Amino acid sequence: MALNVLVVDDSAVMRAIVIKTLHLSGVALGQIYEAKDGEEALRVLDENWVDLALIDINMPVLDGMDMIDKVRQNPETADLSIIVVSTESSETRIENVQRKGVAFVHKPFTPETLRQAILRATGVIDERQDHKSPVSGSGFDF
Amino acid sequence: MNDKITKALYRAAALTFEELGFMFPSSELDPLQKYASVDAQGCVDFEGPYAGRLVVRMCGGVLPVLAANMMGELEPPGQKLQSDALGEIANIICGNLLPSLAGARQVFQLKTPRPMPQDEPLPPVASLKPTAEVQVGLEEGRADLLLYLIDLPQE
Repeated sequence: MALNVLVVDDSAVMRAIVIKTLHLSGVALGQIYEAKDGEEALRVLDENWVDLALIDINMPVLDGMDMIDKVRQNPETADLSIIVVSTESSETRIENVQRKGVAFVHKPFTPETLRQAILRATGVIDERQDHKSPVSGSGFDF
Repeated sequence: MNDKITKALYRAAALTFEELGFMFPSSELDPLQKYASVDAQGCVDFEGPYAGRLVVRMCGGVLPVLAANMMGELEPPGQKLQSDALGEIANIICGNLLPSLAGARQVFQLKTPRPMPQDEPLPPVASLKPTAEVQVGLEEGRADLLLYLIDLPQE
């Protein structure tokens, strides 16, 4: 199953890093959408079918936490798989994020870390589990 | 305490340049790195158990290469994206550094990273000295990191 993914981050560089890492993760990808803040992301969700959203927390206009609340309140998007991708290192903050029913990936991260988080968040079965590593042995983080 | 903070700052910076920018950081600078001039600087202000600022200065033509590496591009991106890359570097170093100093359960609010004009004073408060300052050798240049803590944590 190819996943349609929405990448939400106010940094164009970080969106590029996340998308590059997605391609290296070996996860089957469909359409990839980008948004620079929560409000733009809600419009993308309104107009497109998205299976998974990767969201930063600190963004202008509408931040990641408020965006998640709005996504969960909307019956059309309430069940969307969400992974928060952030520099946040406070255990208190990370627990608050996870209480919203989303996964958390800390920056910097490896393609394998992202892959595992995606598989857990979406429930997609890892078809490559018995085959070679998705990142061809790379130990690089992103 | 300052020595502990300096070591933590170097560790956070080295990890970020290595893993995000595919660069090999060194703490010993050769003359080329040592005397490289500042090309660009940016900062992240923060509040929480203590407030302050992390300043990152890129020297000796490192930033274009770093930005290209981060984005997986062969050619350096434009000025705007280079500035964005510098902001992300500062943000990630700061985000990883602060809990290692204050404790894993402490919560900090990091402001949006921003570029700093060359003539802007580095400290967030006039005449404040850096709590910790490190230089990281990168290719033919270096990165300077200056951490200003307004309320210096006690041992």
